[in-house]
Amino acid sequence: MNLFLRLLKLFRFCLFSGLILVSLSLVSGMFLVFYIAKDLPKLPSPLSRIIERPQTRIFASNGQVLTTLGERKTIPLNMVSPDFINAILATEDHRFFEHHGINKLRTLKALYITLFKSGKIQGASTITQQLAKNLFFSFDKTYKRKIKELLVALQIEASNTKEEILHAYINQIYFGAGAQGIEKAARVFFGKSALDLNLPEAALLAGLPKSPTNYNPYRHLALALKRRDIVLKRMVQAGFISGLEARQAMLSKLELYHGQSDSRTGSYFLDALINKLVLKYGEDVVYHGGIKVFSTIDTRLQSYAKESIKKGLERLDTMMGIGGQDVDRPQGALVAIDTGSGAVKAMVGGRDYYKSEFNRATKSLRQPGSSFKPFLYYAAFKDLGFNPATVMTDKPVSIPVKGAANWEPENFSRTFSGNMILKKALTRSVNSIAAQIVEKVGPGAVTAVAKACGIKSPLKDVFSVALGTSNVTPFEMASAYAVFATLGVRHEPFLFWRVEDAFGRVVFEHIVQEKRVLDPSIAYQVVDMMKAVIERGSGRSIRQLGFKRAAAGKTGTTDSYNDAWFTGFTPSLCTSVWTGFDRKKKLIGINRIGITGGKSAAPIWADFMMNALKSEPERDFAIPDNIRFEMVDTKTGCKPEKENKVAEVLRVPLKPGQHLCEKNEQ
Amino acid sequence: MIRQWHEPLDFHEWLKRAFSFLNIAVFIVTAIFVFSEFRFDWFESLVGTYLVTTNEFRPETGAVWETGKQTSSAHEYLNKIIDKKEDVRLNVHQASSFLDLASSVLPGEWVTLEKQQFKILYLSLEKSTALKIIEPARLLWLLKASSLDRIFCEGIPGGVKIYFIDSENRVIKQIDLKKEHILEIENSKKPVAGQLADMEGFLGRIYPAKVFFKAFFKLPADIIPDLIVNPESLLKQGGRIINIGIWNEAENGYIKLGFEFEEKGVKQVVFIKGREWAVWQLSLNLKGDEN
Repeated sequence: MNLFLRLLKLFRFCLFSGLILVSLSLVSGMFLVFYIAKDLPKLPSPLSRIIERPQTRIFASNGQVLTTLGERKTIPLNMVSPDFINAILATEDHRFFEHHGINKLRTLKALYITLFKSGKIQGASTITQQLAKNLFFSFDKTYKRKIKELLVALQIEASNTKEEILHAYINQIYFGAGAQGIEKAARVFFGKSALDLNLPEAALLAGLPKSPTNYNPYRHLALALKRRDIVLKRMVQAGFISGLEARQAMLSKLELYHGQSDSRTGSYFLDALINKLVLKYGEDVVYHGGIKVFSTIDTRLQSYAKESIKKGLERLDTMMGIGGQDVDRPQGALVAIDTGSGAVKAMVGGRDYYKSEFNRATKSLRQPGSSFKPFLYYAAFKDLGFNPATVMTDKPVSIPVKGAANWEPENFSRTFSGNMILKKALTRSVNSIAAQIVEKVGPGAVTAVAKACGIKSPLKDVFSVALGTSNVTPFEMASAYAVFATLGVRHEPFLFWRVEDAFGRVVFEHIVQEKRVLDPSIAYQVVDMMKAVIERGSGRSIRQLGFKRAAAGKTGTTDSYNDAWFTGFTPSLCTSVWTGFDRKKKLIGINRIGITGGKSAAPIWADFMMNALKSEPERDFAIPDNIRFEMVDTKTGCKPEKENKVAEVLRVPLKPGQHLCEKNEQ
Repeated sequence: MIRQWHEPLDFHEWLKRAFSFLNIAVFIVTAIFVFSEFRFDWFESLVGTYLVTTNEFRPETGAVWETGKQTSSAHEYLNKIIDKKEDVRLNVHQASSFLDLASSVLPGEWVTLEKQQFKILYLSLEKSTALKIIEPARLLWLLKASSLDRIFCEGIPGGVKIYFIDSENRVIKQIDLKKEHILEIENSKKPVAGQLADMEGFLGRIYPAKVFFKAFFKLPADIIPDLIVNPESLLKQGGRIINIGIWNEAENGYIKLGFEFEEKGVKQVVFIKGREWAVWQLSLNLKGDEN
């Protein structure tokens, strides 16, 4: 009896406590609503307005759209694969069509787990709550934010149909890889429209919003597939598909789309372009202004550049005995510039953007090695009156340096060959002769030429600058060598031709201006020497690889084999290629011999240029009117003697007043 | 009246009180309340509806509105650029001289100049002055025989750059016009207070009007028009010509002539330019007359 009375007492206590609790909840709930409501954000009407945003579009030189920034490609629900709708509902909110913004039971369960199971936090956001959060709130985890989010969700539910909410949701969720909204995601990951997604694809995409970075299939395919399988299982549980369909989907092979990976926001070229635009106009204009940017990039050349870098670096891996599993692999960069205008036609900043976004083409400052010598030879021809037939001696040199040990540069071959004309010295990249020249002409003259040609990185005023010890970027080298290609006319390199606002009104136009910075005849003499580098010098692998057009260039390899370059040009296109490790690490082959620019960068250059120029007519460099050619004995700098059958003879271009044998005493 | 409450003394009393009408009613109402909320979500609907009514009075805050503001700010910025450009275009369109043109385009601003307008501005100049801007033959080639697409003006400190560009935006010809240079060109038509004798460049080559015109009219008829190419400034000037001087240097195929006018005791010099070879012929005549 007593027990029964106690139970009754308990029942009475619970009843009245419950009543008081419900009343208190109601009162405090209303208080909260009134208190917080005034700070709630206003909801746009109609809801679809929130996902309409002008897109900034970036075009390639052929008019093809490269990428859109701030894109929200809105599509109606009937243009989305039903499999995706089902998958996202099953994953995120399977009672979406039943609740009014909150799933109370799930919320109570989550609250219980969060409060009573230490270390565990359970989420219970409905699709409407997620929409409210994505549109209006930061990602701070505070109770106040949570309550606000909940109230906004209630308002969204009260003022929109379920279809409108779902439409807004799927068009604004972020899937990673720059894809916002289902249409963009379908195009980015599978190269198809959202309507054409099949079950496995739809399930994979539905799994991404939970953590777009961790489940990014380009980076973490196994995790993404695991998540896809979870989505499929939830679809079975929610009754959208059968177990058999789920199993078939799990077994199906996923084919990710890679075709436009370099055209999405995030390619090296686009990164550089967007940085320029942001510097010029600010982020608001670039990302929210709906501008149209007409870039200089040639998609055909860009695709060749990527392919050449990929193949070239794989070849380098093989030369170095680096396997596919090795994390530390050499990198590469390529920049191609139209010599006639300065327009950047192709840019690759590394072997894989998705593994390293660091743009080595524009940001990596590396020693150019001997590829800096053309600036030295130009300075010597101009200031010292030297010419390609001037004779100097390849011998050990020791140049006194004020306040430091003598500078004693060595040749790559570690041997010395005695007398030779300067054309041969550049062709064979003889350091000892370059050192003697810089001692005579002074490092300031060399840096002045480099700067006139467009090198903007700080250059050290030391003798060794002539051998490329000051850091520069591949972008600078391509731009500076392009000046030789035009025999001394400089065009400022640029990435976009025109910027228009959303209504097509021109905001900016690039005007191609020419500036003569080098004497054309002297520039031609240097170009002729650089042609010989490709014909018979350190860049001869280019001819061996089948590149037959008129071209000039120079290899560059640093003493430590940390950097290997080839920068070269035809009359119309100038390309610089750099290879090396990001960290200071040598490029050493399996045979323990250092890898030079002629072996690693030149083949990439040749491969790219062969493809890039295949549809262009062949033409040679224009010869200035005052240039005459003479045959010269490379050892004496004199006309070759008929009886001397073993003499090496080269053809050299000379300016008026320049004669053979006049500097034999050098 | 105060009722003394006491605990039920027996089970019957307990049951009676527990299942009293009030208790059952409260329980049923509460149960309906809770059940209906779970079943119909009326609380959510109520709150949602209430929030809809207050929507218009709430602030436009939050991520999506921020994005909207960024879009507005971007459009404002772009419109500012476009409006400024349109202003510059209108000013340039209304420019009646190269000086007006240089004043209309500030450093950092640029605008496309109509070919027709450039022609008008150019043709409004005296031949000798126009020559200083661009040679007529070169202009003819640019406008009528080259691949010229547009003329593009860019403001620079103290002047304007005029680019003649082809359809690929390559500069075919560039003219740098400094305001002070234009002023110098334009002011050369205006009279200068003073007399020729005080101007070093004319020393030894100053002739009384009578002597000058005597020698002048001895010239063959086909030479005379080349000597005084643009007589407007001379005809506009009040007073009488008392002396004429010939400058000691030629420039671009022309030689400066100074005409000293006197009006009510005030002396002023007006400069014009004559073709070098015509002036040379005149000089021979003047020397002959002197001898």
